Amino acid sequence: MKRVLIVDDSISVARQLEKILTASGEFDVVGHAKNGMEAIRMSQTESPEIICMDMNMPVMDGLTALRTLVASGKGYKVVMVTSLGGVGEKYQEALKLGALDVISKPFEEQSVLKTLRTL
Amino acid sequence: MAVKFFGQFLMEIGVISRDDLLKAVQLQESTNLKFGEIAMTMGFLTEAQIEKIHDAQRSEDLRFGDMALKLGLINVKQMQQILTRQKNGHLYIGEALIRVGALREADLPRYLDAFKADQAPYVVDGVAIPPAMPHIPLLEIFVDLTFKLLCRIADLPLRQGRCLESNDWPSGDVVAAMDFSGPVNGRYILAVSTKVQKALAKAILKEDNVDNEPQEVLQDTVMEFINIACGNIVAKATQLGLALEIHPPEILTIAPGKTTPKATRNLRFPMFLPDGDTLTLQVQIAP
Repeated sequence: MKRVLIVDDSISVARQLEKILTASGEFDVVGHAKNGMEAIRMSQTESPEIICMDMNMPVMDGLTALRTLVASGKGYKVVMVTSLGGVGEKYQEALKLGALDVISKPFEEQSVLKTLRTL
Repeated sequence: MAVKFFGQFLMEIGVISRDDLLKAVQLQESTNLKFGEIAMTMGFLTEAQIEKIHDAQRSEDLRFGDMALKLGLINVKQMQQILTRQKNGHLYIGEALIRVGALREADLPRYLDAFKADQAPYVVDGVAIPPAMPHIPLLEIFVDLTFKLLCRIADLPLRQGRCLESNDWPSGDVVAAMDFSGPVNGRYILAVSTKVQKALAKAILKEDNVDNEPQEVLQDTVMEFINIACGNIVAKATQLGLALEIHPPEILTIAPGKTTPKATRNLRFPMFLPDGDTLTLQVQIAP
C-alpha cells in the first residue's frame, strides 16, 4: 500500500480524505499534519510516498511547504487540495513548483482515488 | 423577525396551530420532489449521477438542471420534461393547509392578501446592496454565492432578508470568519445557530447524524463551509478582474457590545429559515 500523509488544517476535510483512502484498501494514511511546518517534520519521520496538502493553512501555507518538500530531493509525490475552483495564481504556482496535481474541494471519492492512483 | 413565510404568518395571527403547519409541511415534503428526484423517477438520472451533480455544484455556480446538462447527463428535452412535471405537481403551503383540514379554501385568497400586505416592506428582488457601500459588484457576489451555496450544500430552505450597513458584529452560536486581501481587503463573517451548524456539518461530513460529534469538529465544518464559499467567491471575483487572496478561516469570540473596527464598512445580509432561525453573513470592507 502507498503511504500517504494528509496535510490540512481542517479536521473535517482530513477525516473525509482518510475515510476515502483507507476504504479503498490501496493507501495507508500514515499521518495528519495541520500545517506546512508539521508536514515538513512529519515527512521526515513518516516517510510518505504521497502528500495530499491543502494550500490555505495557518503557520505555514501549502505552497511554502511545497517548495521545501520539492527541494528536499526525497521525491515526494505532492498533490495540492484547494477550494479555489481551478483559478488563481496559487493554483498555477503549485503546478509550476512541482505539485503533480490539484484536487478541488469539495472533492468526490472517485476523483480523489483516480488522481492518487495515476501518480 | 420581519421576514416571514406564509405558514409562519398564519400561525402568528392564530389561524393555524403549530401541528397544522407541521402536518402541511410534511405533506409538502412528500409531494414536492426535487429536480433530481423527478429525474430519477423518470429514469433520466441515477443516484450516483445526482451525487456527482451535487459535488460539481459546489465548485461552480450552476443550478442542478444546468449542471446536469453541462455534464452531459441529460439533454434539453429531458430537462424541459422534468421542469414541467416539477411545476405542475408543486404543492404550495396554502393548498397543503387546505388538504390537511387546517384552512378553508374560501379563506385562502383573503389570508394571502393579508400576508402580501404584511411582507410588502421586506420583499427583496435579487440582491439589493445599499448604494452607499463601496465595491457593490463584489459585495453582490459575496451575498449571492453565500445564499446559493447555503441552499445547495446544506439544503436549507432560506429566504433572503434586506441587506443593510451595520457597525455591530453579527450574533450567533457560532461565528466564523475568513480574511481576504488584494485589491479589496476585508473579512467574511458568517454567524449561525447550533441547528444550522449541525445542518452544515451533516453536509460537509456527508453523515446523517452528527449528534455525537465534538464541538471542535462541528466548528470546523462551519469554517470549511466558508472556505468553500470564499473559494467560489474568489473564483467569481477573478472574472471581475479582482484577484483576491483568502486566508485561513477562524472562529470568532465577540465580546458583548463590541463594535466593528473604526473605518471599516460592514454589509449585513440576514437570511431566514421557516422556523424563525436566522443566519447572518457580514462582509467587512477595510478602508
